[in-house]
Amino acid sequence: MTLNRLPDPGKRLSIRDLSKLYNEFVALDHINLDIEQGEKIVVLGPSGSGKSTFIRCLNRIEPHNSGVLMIDGKIIDQKTDLTELRGRVGMVFQNYNLFPHLTVLENCAVAPRLVRSIPRGQAEDTARRILAQVGIAEQASKYPIQLSGGQQQRVAIARALCMDPEIILFDEPTAALDPEAISGVVLIINDLAAQGITTVCVTHEMGFARRIADRIVFMDKGRVQEITPPEEFFTAPRSARARAFLNEMIRF
Amino acid sequence: MRRTGLLGVLIAGLVTMLATISARAEAPPSFAANGTLTACTNPTLPPMTFVNGAEASALAGFDIDLVREIAGVWNLRPDIVQMDFEGMFPSLSAGRCGMVISGVMRQATRERNFDAIPYYESAMVVIARTGTPKISSFSELSGQTVAIETGTSYGRLIEIENAALAARGKPPIRVQLYPSEDQVIQQVLLGRAHAAMSQDVEVLYRRRQLGGKVTTIFKPDIPDFHDFAIYIRKDSVDKARLEQAVDELRRRGTLTALAHKWNIDDTLEEAAPTRGAPSRFDVQTFLSALVSRAFFKGASMTLIMALLSHVTAIAISIPIALALNGRRSLIQPVLSAYVAVFRGAPTLLQLLFIWNALPQFLPIFRESWFTPFLAAWISLSINESAYQVEINRAALRAVDRGQSLAAEALGMKKSHVYWHIVFPQALRIALPPTINDFISLLKTTSLASVISLQELLAVTQIQVARTFQFTEYYSAALVWYLGIVFFFLYVQKRIERRFTWADRDKAAAHDA
Ligand SMILES: Nc1ncnc2c1ncn2[C@@H]1O[C@H](COP(=O)(O)OP(=O)(O)OP(=O)(O)O)[C@@H](O)[C@H]1O
Ligand SMILES: [Mg+2]
Repeated sequence: MTLNRLPDPGKRLSIRDLSKLYNEFVALDHINLDIEQGEKIVVLGPSGSGKSTFIRCLNRIEPHNSGVLMIDGKIIDQKTDLTELRGRVGMVFQNYNLFPHLTVLENCAVAPRLVRSIPRGQAEDTARRILAQVGIAEQASKYPIQLSGGQQQRVAIARALCMDPEIILFDEPTAALDPEAISGVVLIINDLAAQGITTVCVTHEMGFARRIADRIVFMDKGRVQEITPPEEFFTAPRSARARAFLNEMIRF
Repeated sequence: MRRTGLLGVLIAGLVTMLATISARAEAPPSFAANGTLTACTNPTLPPMTFVNGAEASALAGFDIDLVREIAGVWNLRPDIVQMDFEGMFPSLSAGRCGMVISGVMRQATRERNFDAIPYYESAMVVIARTGTPKISSFSELSGQTVAIETGTSYGRLIEIENAALAARGKPPIRVQLYPSEDQVIQQVLLGRAHAAMSQDVEVLYRRRQLGGKVTTIFKPDIPDFHDFAIYIRKDSVDKARLEQAVDELRRRGTLTALAHKWNIDDTLEEAAPTRGAPSRFDVQTFLSALVSRAFFKGASMTLIMALLSHVTAIAISIPIALALNGRRSLIQPVLSAYVAVFRGAPTLLQLLFIWNALPQFLPIFRESWFTPFLAAWISLSINESAYQVEINRAALRAVDRGQSLAAEALGMKKSHVYWHIVFPQALRIALPPTINDFISLLKTTSLASVISLQELLAVTQIQVARTFQFTEYYSAALVWYLGIVFFFLYVQKRIERRFTWADRDKAAAHDA
């Protein structure tokens, strides 16, 4: 790897020796990675390898213990204004975590209203526009419980987009979706990249990873084992761990 | 004409002067503060002290008139406070009343702690249903059931008799205790008790009311049951002054006049019944009780007390629930102890503790601002908050952790996360058990009658003591309680309709 020891302020995200401990347990072990604007990063790795922990550090839902996390040239640490950070780094959760007591429209408008003090009318107009963009404009007045899994996924993406983020973190966005819905998510993520939004996506779905990734980050035991473009990763992985992982996947 | 007019004015002036001098000569006792004479009474012993009419505040009786006369002797303003029988002597100790006058007998044991000033001769009687043969000693009640009022000293008398019976190998007299005199007599009428113990004046009064259904079967001569007495806190000067005032009233003939007014002179003892027996269920009485101002006020008091206490309890319980659910801290064991104590202790005990025991430690609670209303509000709020903490904790825990995580990931402040995301979802879970608790609290307020709060059940009992029409007044109270409860069940249904989001089918119906 050709990374400089110092973080690079010119990158959207620049990560140096990022570590995370849960008591004695090392969940993340000296992670180094640079990510460009508009890039689509896919994080792969066996269960328990620290993928979720890694992306949760990026919006400081899990504060890291050591190392440097830099976003757009600014160092993220305990002094960072979390409201501002999370406005820039959106997140879509594996089981969506939609707010069940709010309609789809309110789910999307609630954060801009409360966090950015945007008037209700304006926040809802924006929300409608973005719901249309992800293809579920007609669901605006429904409650989450009335939607299919794929529709809920789109609401979760729309909710994150309403905060106008530069980076969106996805934790297993396809876990509960059928193939058709997965294709929908691929289209949306490509669309985001076209708008210059950076995406970091954890997944177990190899086909999905292959279709969207600009680069694949392979993790094991809290460490980054390799960072490779998808064609290379799936045909000729560099690390022995990745080979074993892919063999396991194919057999399964 | 002018001269006589002038003379009249002179004489009137002279009389007033003399009156003022004589009043000065009889200095008021020390417990009469600020020109007020505070007397505590339990108005359930007609004709000595009772509520006359549908209005709970319309106190009447020999004792009530006597307080006014005594206050008059000293030019004081009488202030009569009504409360439960058990509450009176603790209240006297706590300084909440200057004197207790409530048809209480002069007794040596009570005189150890208080001074007693006798004012009217009376005798203890054993009564039974008319037709029951007379007896000549307590031992003849061996094996029988006798009803007596809680807090009175008849119980001890029977204990002594039972010891004697046991020594002779005879079965004891069985005792049933009831909180009010009217309930004691009701047991005799129902045949549940063979006899009841009371005072002759009470029986004279009841005889007329019950159309001669009860009769005196025994009139023992026991020194401890000879005189009605006023009780005050121990103070020899006060005692002498009060004795002087009572003597003065006796000399003036006031006491005789009052005895006549309340029909307790001896001449009436064998008076024939003037009224027929009350009917089984008097619809008229029931209906007029139902719509009476007294019941309306009692029900309002019940409702206000329950609402106020529950709102306070919820306000106290939310921060406690959050702290207990949150990160481990030093305050958690303290809060857990709070919940355990107030959930564990009986509500009645908490009420009595706050009303009667607290003023002994903190004199500030003896002052008049500390009303039964305030005491009940505090006790019930604290008690209910302990239960509500558990409801809130469970409800907060039932909201998925992912909800606050998602809200935080959107940049929301902690307060926004709670108000807009967690609380609305927790509310849906907490609502049914909360309404359940509220309904239970609504009924628990009836316990506050022991500290003289005039809520629905207290009003009912006072009316029953006055009229002896149990069924009618109990039914009216029942209708009020059920009315209030059903109203809140309806409110619950209405609120639950707003939670359509939690149910797929209902949410669809909401769209349509
Ligand atoms: N809050 C926590 N406290 C202690 N240990 C944790 C915590 N969160 C995660 N871990 C541990 O850190 C390791 C990495 O967990 P993480 O959730 O990041 O794995 P993952 O790669 O996302 O796995 P999966 O593919 O199953 O989602 C695991 O061993 C997990 O047990
Ligand atoms: Mg994970």
